Amino acid sequence: MIYKIISKGALADLFAGLQETYDEVVGPQERGPAFVFDKLSSVDEVRLNYPSTILPPTKYFLPADERLFRFDRSTGDVYDSEPAQGTRAILGMHPCDINAVLMMDEIFMGDYVDPYYETARKSSFIIGVSCMPEPGHLCAAFGADEIHRGFDLFLTDLGDRYFVSCRSVPASELMDSYVRSCEPSAEDINDFQERTKRFKEAFAPMPKMDQLPLLYGAKYFDEELWERIGDDCLSCGACASVCPCCYCFDVRDKVDPGGKTGMRHRIWDSCLKSEHAEVAHGHNFRPTRASRVRYRFFHKFVGNFSRTGKMLCVGCSRCGKACKVGINPGSVIEALQKEYLPDTAGVEVFKGGGAS
Amino acid sequence: MNYLNDMSEINLSLQDRTNAYRQLGANPFRPWPARITSITQLTPKEKLFELRLIDEKVREAFTFTAGQFVELSIFGVGEAPISISSAPSKQGFIELCIREVGTVTAAIHRMQCGDVVGLRGPFGRGFPFEDMRGQDILLVAGGLGIAPLKSLINHIHDERHDFGKVTILLGARNPSEILFRHEFDMWKHREDFDLIMTVDDAVDPVNPDVTWDGEVGLVTRLFDRLDIEPAHTFGVICGPPVMYPFVVEEMRKKQLKVDRIFVSIERRMKCGIGMCNHCAVGHQYTCIEGPVFSYWDAINLQEAI
Repeated sequence: MIYKIISKGALADLFAGLQETYDEVVGPQERGPAFVFDKLSSVDEVRLNYPSTILPPTKYFLPADERLFRFDRSTGDVYDSEPAQGTRAILGMHPCDINAVLMMDEIFMGDYVDPYYETARKSSFIIGVSCMPEPGHLCAAFGADEIHRGFDLFLTDLGDRYFVSCRSVPASELMDSYVRSCEPSAEDINDFQERTKRFKEAFAPMPKMDQLPLLYGAKYFDEELWERIGDDCLSCGACASVCPCCYCFDVRDKVDPGGKTGMRHRIWDSCLKSEHAEVAHGHNFRPTRASRVRYRFFHKFVGNFSRTGKMLCVGCSRCGKACKVGINPGSVIEALQKEYLPDTAGVEVFKGGGAS
Repeated sequence: MNYLNDMSEINLSLQDRTNAYRQLGANPFRPWPARITSITQLTPKEKLFELRLIDEKVREAFTFTAGQFVELSIFGVGEAPISISSAPSKQGFIELCIREVGTVTAAIHRMQCGDVVGLRGPFGRGFPFEDMRGQDILLVAGGLGIAPLKSLINHIHDERHDFGKVTILLGARNPSEILFRHEFDMWKHREDFDLIMTVDDAVDPVNPDVTWDGEVGLVTRLFDRLDIEPAHTFGVICGPPVMYPFVVEEMRKKQLKVDRIFVSIERRMKCGIGMCNHCAVGHQYTCIEGPVFSYWDAINLQEAI
């Protein structure tokens, strides 16, 4: 890793470099009271000091609706199955969102490789940016507040300047060609360390996660607990839509008006939808809301953990904000821990993540 | 952390996952065109389709084990996961036994010989055929559950000298719903297969005149007369979800070990490659670690059976 210092004004140089090098530059922008990742046409549009976005930038790797290929119904010919080409720079990803993408990599570029995901992933240039915890953020509990790989550049905000970590060769070349920078001085390094300390101290007490899979096993058959959470759940899937670690999809065919040709595409789906675990003859393996909520959190806290050693949650709190009835990972963890770990349950952090 | 560690040893005998997609470096979402070369009406609701992949290279790369499945594409309608019914020992074509139950299956039921469909696969893990060699086999199929077991039965048939006693218990609701009945009727007199067919109801609602001289009652009732050497026997079960606990109980009464009982479980796999999450059971994917699980693995998966 190479470290540099750039002034805040040099962000314009960096942006110009990105615009010249990549087909598209996207980043967080203001939309009414919220923030979204969208295409940037000028550096003035970007808001690097944002709390969170409505949708995570995962949408650039697994879009809400993606063409897989086109087909001819009569001949069975399949064409246009090549992944979309084009390069993209994503400016301003928070550590939690980069961590989420690294988990998606294991799913979409693991045993089998998804060529659509892989192409989007490999043609992306990622610039991370430091943040400060907001109420309800649980990233530190999941170890997602830090990021050490998965980005090309990372900007740590030191007030009037950025401390820049260059992780990749293209990043280093971009910096050399476009951005006025200097080597970090002793004072810069001191400020960086101070900033990191402030960041760590800004977190409310975090729940202990190491016993969570075990507790989940113990509480799995607690009908009363899941009925209670399931009774609240609307099965709307809003939480899954905004989750950077959710990746369920459905595959559908759309026929063109002529009827002869069409397109197969995949769209986001959610395990909370009633038909998610349905099989032929209409048998449903998770027919109740309670069983679906239980499955969703099981997959996040235990299922993926058993496979990869990582929980499918980065504590970004988007789901808690999207949920109309106040279900969030914090409240579920609290419910799981209450009986068994009275000391760690009910800490302040759980109060921030619910619906407001 | 290796997630395979908690699986029973026999299922660990890893089948070659270097499947056709890897060999050909192909996009695993892209179906290969296949032509329907034969259609047999098995029952009023089920047809047997013989399919041949059109591309010769793909046809050669397409090898599978009994118990694996394909994603059948009817372009414009969608995809459905279907178990392969033909034996791996027969190359060049595959057979799919399909019940008309949803939109994709209804669409292929309307098709004719010569029509083109799409195939992706083969996916998942099949039965541990190599481990089964030299052993006695007890197969229990209920209804459409015979579809994946047919592949295993035919494979055993083709390499019969490698196996001990082979017993097949075949259950259906009524005589006209017994799949492959004509074929199995001929097997009844074979000495190298013990085949017992049973129906819930001997009166056939479609053809009330058809007479039934076989067994009546659930397959579990047939276990009393079986003579099983548990140390040398593999149990295999496939059928509707409700059947599994009862058949497993009978096999356990016969002292079969939990990791020598294999079940094929049904889920609606949408991608077949461990990504869409529709087939997740517990912490595993039916399309990657299944659809064939040892019973031991299945009971370790929440909501599997």
